[in-house]
Amino acid sequence: MAFDFASRFEKLSGIVHRVGSEAAAAATIAQICQTSQAGCIALAGLSSTLVALIKEACEQTCPELSILTEPYAAADLPLAIDRADIGVTGISFAIAQSGTMVEVADNDALRLVSSLPRIHIGLLRAEDIIEHYHDSAGRIRATIADHPENLVLSFISGPSRTGDIELKLTLGVHGPEEAHCVIIDAAA
Amino acid sequence: MTSQRYTSLYQSIEAALEDHSKSDLLRGCMKRGRDTRAAALEELPGGVAFRGDVRAAKERCIEALPELKQRFIDNARKRGTIVYEARDGADAIAYCLNLARHRGARVIAKSKSLTTEEIDLNQPLIKAGIDVVETDLGELIIQLAGEKPFHLVFPSIHKMAPEVAEIFSRTTGQAVADDIPSIMKVVRTYLRPIFLKAEIGLTGANVGIAETGGICIETNEGNARLVSSLGSCHICLIGMEKIVETIEDALLMVLAHPVSASGQLPTNYVTWMHGRSPLGEGAAAEERESHIIILDNGRTAMRGDADMREALYCIRCGACMNICPTYGVVGGHTFGYIYPGPMGICWTAGVHGLERAGDFAQLCISCGLCKEICPAKINMPHMIAEIKHRDAAANGHLLVNRVMMGADRAARLGSATAPLANAVLASKPLRALLEKTIGLAAERTLPPFVASTFMRRFAKRPKPTFELIRNVVFFVDVYANYNNPDLGLAAVDALERLGCKVIVPNQEVSGYPYIAYGGMDQARRIARRNSSKLAPWVRRGYDVVAIEPTAAYALAVSYPVLTRGSEEARLLSEHTFELFEYLNRLEDETGQSPDPELLTGRRLGFHCACHQRPLGGGRGAVDWLRRRGAAVELIETGTCCGMGGTFGLKGGLLGYDLSQAVGQPLFDLFSASGVDAIVTESSVCSIQLAEGTAMRVYHPLELLNLV
Repeated sequence: MAFDFASRFEKLSGIVHRVGSEAAAAATIAQICQTSQAGCIALAGLSSTLVALIKEACEQTCPELSILTEPYAAADLPLAIDRADIGVTGISFAIAQSGTMVEVADNDALRLVSSLPRIHIGLLRAEDIIEHYHDSAGRIRATIADHPENLVLSFISGPSRTGDIELKLTLGVHGPEEAHCVIIDAAA
Repeated sequence: MTSQRYTSLYQSIEAALEDHSKSDLLRGCMKRGRDTRAAALEELPGGVAFRGDVRAAKERCIEALPELKQRFIDNARKRGTIVYEARDGADAIAYCLNLARHRGARVIAKSKSLTTEEIDLNQPLIKAGIDVVETDLGELIIQLAGEKPFHLVFPSIHKMAPEVAEIFSRTTGQAVADDIPSIMKVVRTYLRPIFLKAEIGLTGANVGIAETGGICIETNEGNARLVSSLGSCHICLIGMEKIVETIEDALLMVLAHPVSASGQLPTNYVTWMHGRSPLGEGAAAEERESHIIILDNGRTAMRGDADMREALYCIRCGACMNICPTYGVVGGHTFGYIYPGPMGICWTAGVHGLERAGDFAQLCISCGLCKEICPAKINMPHMIAEIKHRDAAANGHLLVNRVMMGADRAARLGSATAPLANAVLASKPLRALLEKTIGLAAERTLPPFVASTFMRRFAKRPKPTFELIRNVVFFVDVYANYNNPDLGLAAVDALERLGCKVIVPNQEVSGYPYIAYGGMDQARRIARRNSSKLAPWVRRGYDVVAIEPTAAYALAVSYPVLTRGSEEARLLSEHTFELFEYLNRLEDETGQSPDPELLTGRRLGFHCACHQRPLGGGRGAVDWLRRRGAAVELIETGTCCGMGGTFGLKGGLLGYDLSQAVGQPLFDLFSASGVDAIVTESSVCSIQLAEGTAMRVYHPLELLNLV
């Protein structure tokens, strides 16, 4: 299933990294920061373990990098996140058939982390991949039921794209021009 | 008598015919839309079957709309969303103006929304001193150029990169290189501060979900994600027909829309928004509001109008525009008011008034292709016919349209006076006079009339003596009766040879021209009469076989709608067959296979008449020819040949000229195909193709010298 998701997501110009552990995921993220010469990275919707691992990996690989983490003070937004070159968010689940990462946010700071920077990295666990598009209804329903008030689910299937000039596919017009998905798969 | 009304329409058509550059571009977009849709359907499990699901969901949700709308409102309010129901555009505009004033908004960032365009929301906000910025790239280019969208999905497709670069140079005051990546960098830099400082983000919504009180917003660029999260206030304007019942319904719509619009499964980004989230931690959180304006603006009336209700099934994918033959030539600026294309006629009538819809409804040639591509199977041909009818009730029919609606009576007269009528049809000066007086195109070579009609010859012919195992009613219509009885009799022979007892009971013409030009009283009368004349034979075990594709379509598809689902029309519809589909079946059943060498060596190009698309797409005739050894290729542009029944028989811009412009790409395909002849079952397509290609055009029966 991770393979099906990956091939679909890549077909949509996304980039997939399959790793075997959280530590390996953090190393991959640090690697992307280094390759893209990022000066600032923003994190949201990740467990404290992952945040610590990412900080640690980045300190080793790119010590100059500034790392923004939750909580984000309302007074600093949106400018604080607009500074970031890379945004990393936790992905709640994914749909293999359509190559879709589903991000769940009850604070819009999370949405900014995945939509303002030039590069977005979603962090997904292989066991959270659903095979068929229409089978996602149950998971969506349960997620919405868990949040009786505000909630935004975002389907993300690749980087920001447009064909508005001469029908030529161009990436990154408003949102990320690179969309990565790091899949943590013990079987990988 | 009403032709002055169309002066500006004629001018726009003329301009489009003189300058092909825009229509060439447009047709490129349309073809791309159809091709990407076809490719997506290859990947979608079940392929086109999703249309049945969408249709069923929309039927259910529009039926329950008042209740679903209330449930949507209740659930949205529970989540803290402020909901307002706007009667009409003015009401919605006033609400937005008040809100903008109340919040002291100076900048509004917008993501693409047709519904805001429907009520022209930008102008009053701009007049109130607010900077309203479109953030969808195509819409932004159009806004900066001061134009209207050229295509629903690709609004700025007529602007090439150098022109776009020039627009952004002018806007930003700095030189912009004319390659697309450079333009993108400039756009990103130009829009980013606008996103960041806008106090209000304004979006539409593709779906409202009653079950959850949430909305879905689809984009590819991601602008709606920014617009809906950054500003302290979010406004969503949603047409009430977008409300569905469940999450499953929403998933279906979120898939059906991009499959049909751009061949995606689904769009890059879909934002499922519920209530209003805080932005960051701290005091500013309660400043944030989310408003949903549910727009009526004529929709309740559309729902209550049996002939217009289906318009509410529209999910705004634009697929109908990607297949409409005349839209492809003249474009949405001519073929539309604010809503363009075939569906645009229906929506304009519903929300902007019948008169405005009537101004461009004449561009519809009633080929019916829009219905065949529509993800909700909306019967646009019927709705447009009804709009033409209502418009004519107020403004009268064009004389030429009245002439075309009376084509069957003219044919009867032509047959009764055949030598004289044929001399008139063959006389250049008289044809010029006929074009001037009644609007019949002088350029057309029309088939001569015969004095001895099919009906007369059928009645006189000796009855066959061999064993008859099946009962068939033969439906003749106009051409086979008055112009080509040999063809009709050849069809009867073919049926009899396969064991059919063929009768030709009292029947009327199919009446399709009345539908095409909006003579709905007559269309309904003919539908009822033919249904009650033929249904009793069906009850006695007869099948009905029609030789003309449009006649088969009228019986099988149009009559049940025209008679509002009468039992007789339903019976007739279920037992109507196209000739070759029926002959093939009989060959299979009787084991009488044809000589496989009859047409060996022939390379034929088949043209499928538009009205055959829902009946089997011409497979019957193609198989029938292949069984006889012919190599048959389907040659098609993906749209109509341009004849549109009798549309191309009319003289001038809104007839012959436009029909030639529609047909030219197909003529070119046939000319380049290397086939030795064209085959089509339609009597009118055959005229168009013979004239357009100078190639031989046959009816399948003619190829075997059976006629």
